Amino acid sequence: MENVFRSKLIYIAFVSILGVGIVLTACSPASAPAPGSSGKELVMTTPAKGTESAPSAKASEKAAPTEAKPSVSGEPIKIGVVTSLTGSQANFGQAQKRGYEIALGEINAKGGVDRRKLELVYEDDASKPETAMSATEKLITQDKVPAMMSPYSSAATLAAAGVADKYETPFLVATSAADNITEQGYKWVFRICAPSSVYASTMVDFIADIAKPQTLAIVFENTNFGTSTAGPAKEIAEKKGIKVVAYEAYKAGAPDFKPLITKVKSANPDVVFFVSYLMDATLLMRQSKELDFNPKMYTAGGAGFSMAEFVSESGAGRAAEYTLSVTQWTADAKWPGAKDFDAKFTELYNVAPEYHAAEAYAAVYVMADAIKRAGTLDKTKLRDALANTDMNTAFGPIKFNAQGQNSHPMLITQVQKGTFVTVWPTDAASATPVFPTPPWSQR
Amino acid sequence: MSVLAQTIVGGILLGGLYALIGIGLTIVFGVMRVINFAHGEFLMVSMYLTYLLFTLWGVDPFLSLFITMPVFFLFGMFIQRFFISPVLKAPEMNQILLTVGIGLILANLIQLLFSADYRQVKTSYSDAVVGVSGISVSLPYSGAFVVAILITVALYFFLMRTDTGKAIRATAQDRDAAALMGADVGRISMITFGIGTAAAAAAGTLLTPVYYLFPTVGGPFTLKSFVVVVLGGMGSILGAIFGGLTLGIAESLGAVYVSTGYQDAIGFLIFLLILILKPSGLFGKSRV
Amino acid sequence: MKTLSNLRSNFVYAVVGTGAILAFVPFVLSSSYLLQVLIIVLLFVTLGVSWNLLGGYSGQLSLGHAVFFGIGAYGVALLSKPLGQSPWLGLLAGAVLSLPLAAFVGYVCFRLRGPYFTLATIALAEVIRLVVLNSVDLTGGAKGVTVRPLFKGVDKAPWYLLALGLAVFVVLVTYLITRSKLGYYLVAIREDEDAAEAVGVDATGYKMVALAISAFFTSVAGGFFASYLSFIEPDMVLSVERSVEICLLAIIGGLGTILGPVVGALILGLAGEWFRTNLGQAHLLTYGVLLVAVIMFMPEGIVGTMKKAGQVIGKRLSEERRRVTA
Repeated sequence: MENVFRSKLIYIAFVSILGVGIVLTACSPASAPAPGSSGKELVMTTPAKGTESAPSAKASEKAAPTEAKPSVSGEPIKIGVVTSLTGSQANFGQAQKRGYEIALGEINAKGGVDRRKLELVYEDDASKPETAMSATEKLITQDKVPAMMSPYSSAATLAAAGVADKYETPFLVATSAADNITEQGYKWVFRICAPSSVYASTMVDFIADIAKPQTLAIVFENTNFGTSTAGPAKEIAEKKGIKVVAYEAYKAGAPDFKPLITKVKSANPDVVFFVSYLMDATLLMRQSKELDFNPKMYTAGGAGFSMAEFVSESGAGRAAEYTLSVTQWTADAKWPGAKDFDAKFTELYNVAPEYHAAEAYAAVYVMADAIKRAGTLDKTKLRDALANTDMNTAFGPIKFNAQGQNSHPMLITQVQKGTFVTVWPTDAASATPVFPTPPWSQR
Repeated sequence: MSVLAQTIVGGILLGGLYALIGIGLTIVFGVMRVINFAHGEFLMVSMYLTYLLFTLWGVDPFLSLFITMPVFFLFGMFIQRFFISPVLKAPEMNQILLTVGIGLILANLIQLLFSADYRQVKTSYSDAVVGVSGISVSLPYSGAFVVAILITVALYFFLMRTDTGKAIRATAQDRDAAALMGADVGRISMITFGIGTAAAAAAGTLLTPVYYLFPTVGGPFTLKSFVVVVLGGMGSILGAIFGGLTLGIAESLGAVYVSTGYQDAIGFLIFLLILILKPSGLFGKSRV
Repeated sequence: MKTLSNLRSNFVYAVVGTGAILAFVPFVLSSSYLLQVLIIVLLFVTLGVSWNLLGGYSGQLSLGHAVFFGIGAYGVALLSKPLGQSPWLGLLAGAVLSLPLAAFVGYVCFRLRGPYFTLATIALAEVIRLVVLNSVDLTGGAKGVTVRPLFKGVDKAPWYLLALGLAVFVVLVTYLITRSKLGYYLVAIREDEDAAEAVGVDATGYKMVALAISAFFTSVAGGFFASYLSFIEPDMVLSVERSVEICLLAIIGGLGTILGPVVGALILGLAGEWFRTNLGQAHLLTYGVLLVAVIMFMPEGIVGTMKKAGQVIGKRLSEERRRVTA
């Protein structure tokens, strides 16, 4: 009897500790990923040990500081945002949030929009599309926001866009790349970033131009992003008369690529095109080196291959050299404010911004500009104002076509001497591409 | 030819680790008839512990085995004593669900503490390869393979030669008879679960230099360890070794010669085939 | 003492009556957001009750039920177009397809018992998920597929009413089954399959029937879900996570009870949303903690425990009465 009693006490103790832990975590709303950032803090103190993590924060989350504001008066303008504050995509959601916050800070410092403070109302989609839907529903019907910014992932955005369109609410997409988002015939959805098929077409055009290959191998992660980029790549390549000798989908996060690379190597492609996120990108390059795989060109569809950590020692390090990647944005792009944004972000968060943050940053400016031109928060007028957008941002020129898609010019970078340099298009380039890639044994 | 050789070698190395993971699960099932759905999560938490040891104090993963194994042995005992044991008398469904719940808690707890970001431990030898007649063999994988074999052999001797080991085997054969013969079944269960957890933890630590860490990395390993155990036979260590190697090689060959997209399906298909054709596995004798 | 026939009609009236009252909700409630949450809760009810027929009543713990949810979802997504652009027909087609799928699953898995059965359901579901994921030309693969809505427009009321009708229907069907011969056979199989076989009960046959019914309703729910979200991808409908979620509904509420999954649906649906909006990062832990807590302290689930408590109290009361009158 006594044993049972003692066991019960231990259970109660365990559950209460867990409960207290949950409550404490919940009661720190200002720093949403607070436990997360303390974990990262642990990591940041010994950076030399080759640790790896996506953009992490030092100390607590800081909102962008606002200097002494010229007077803003009246009701703040509240725009709705659904993003991944928790769940598997939380670090991307965080990158977006940081981009938003910096833009907000700057805009409000200059007097807001028509003297009214611009604010964002955040809802968490927990990295799930169905939750993105309810969150969008909530923002539109309960918080009655006049317009919305999209979630991070394509699945969530597609789900949320449908809701926004049904409720005739302007919906601005910053980051989600799946083509079908602007192919649904939605009249209220606008996207500033280029869709996945453009990643593919840009890179394949470049490859065909510079390398004139006979054969191409495509290796991609079996996700929406991977498939949406690889599929068009294959089609375009084949139309150009390039033979696709390998077309391999792999499961993201399963890092033994040796069989895969062995297989691709034996197909002897002139060029290889990877579509991967950071960890896979790192391992793909490192293991390609181990297996002495030497195509004439290593190319990639952005994402992992364009991230700052990719070239660092804890990433692919020297194995990253000469890889080419198509990307939405780089800090040295010749767009107004790009460099400043990069500097500000790095200063605030101790890490370089990825393009997701830049996209978010620009999106706020686009929204603010539309509100100003509309002169009202009426949804229809706001929508029309958005449709007529014609401006230059730190993310490049923004002008939407009839489907609400902006023709965002993609850039191609190459890793030269350990840093990313823009090599294409020629008017944006700061270096010429190195081709062919020297084999591993000669590096 | 060299593609084939490379593939098989890769498969064997991976298989060694699968075997180690499977051994932990098979021991627990043999003794307690409990299917631990949180097995992969134990592996995952051990990876994070190894990561912390490395990033905070520079402890090499192979050395941290001496820390993670005992820690998880104790942790396993704790879980068994306070969560599994009370539920042993309940229907099997409850036991399964309990371990599923524990797995969920562990995965989400880690996500809470470390976020879902992928993390990596890069040691000086993470990329080291040894070229053996044209085949590139990864050094850390080989090291992990060797250690896994050593642990397995040690475990084997423990179970065969020591008194506790014999008591464990007796309990596995017939729980009630063992109790009648004076074995402290409760304590045996705790120790067994501890060993099983420690084996999973060892596999996690060994994987750390070559794998990435993220909170949900455990799930697929749980499923793979089931495949290993069912292939070899629940309760049989030799079976787990065999099962692990088979799975490793099959996955490797399948990835190269069939399709990388269906790589995981290979394990499942083997699993289903065995369950249908020879459910007791190739070495096991338990009823289904 | 109430007679059995009175009990039967009481329950049916209670359920139908509750359904009728709940039907007025969309006309009284102005918040579209709350309606949205309720629709998900009702969907959960259908899922939980359907799963429970196989899990709770027949004692077969399936952790691969997402495969039926998925076939319903992909059915309405892919089959609406060839069937005259009608999502209703697509939904029906998907549900009908769940039957041969159930036969296949049963054929493969029912020869196994207990945990082996569970493992087999997981393995089979994962293989099917991988097939769907990799068949990009057919299913869109990881890119997902957009789905036509059953009801056009913003009004949630028709969705709500459909979900409500479905839930009530499934509860009633389950109730009728439990009061029928089939129900008793299933309980016998659950308690001791070998003994049941020995007495001449075709265990495999009846398990198949339970699976077929369970699969059918699960896939209808899947079709509804897909059309409601107007977009699906494999991870949303075919994942192990989804399977676990489905079975959680019944476990938390009470495995062998009819109302158990209803309670489970309420808790997971309502509380889940509350946790998401109020607990921040911590909400991810709630499923796991709930599951462990229920298994350890209330293995009968909430309704089951209440029932037991009720029985205990009832017994005590009648003892008291006897003592008094003696």
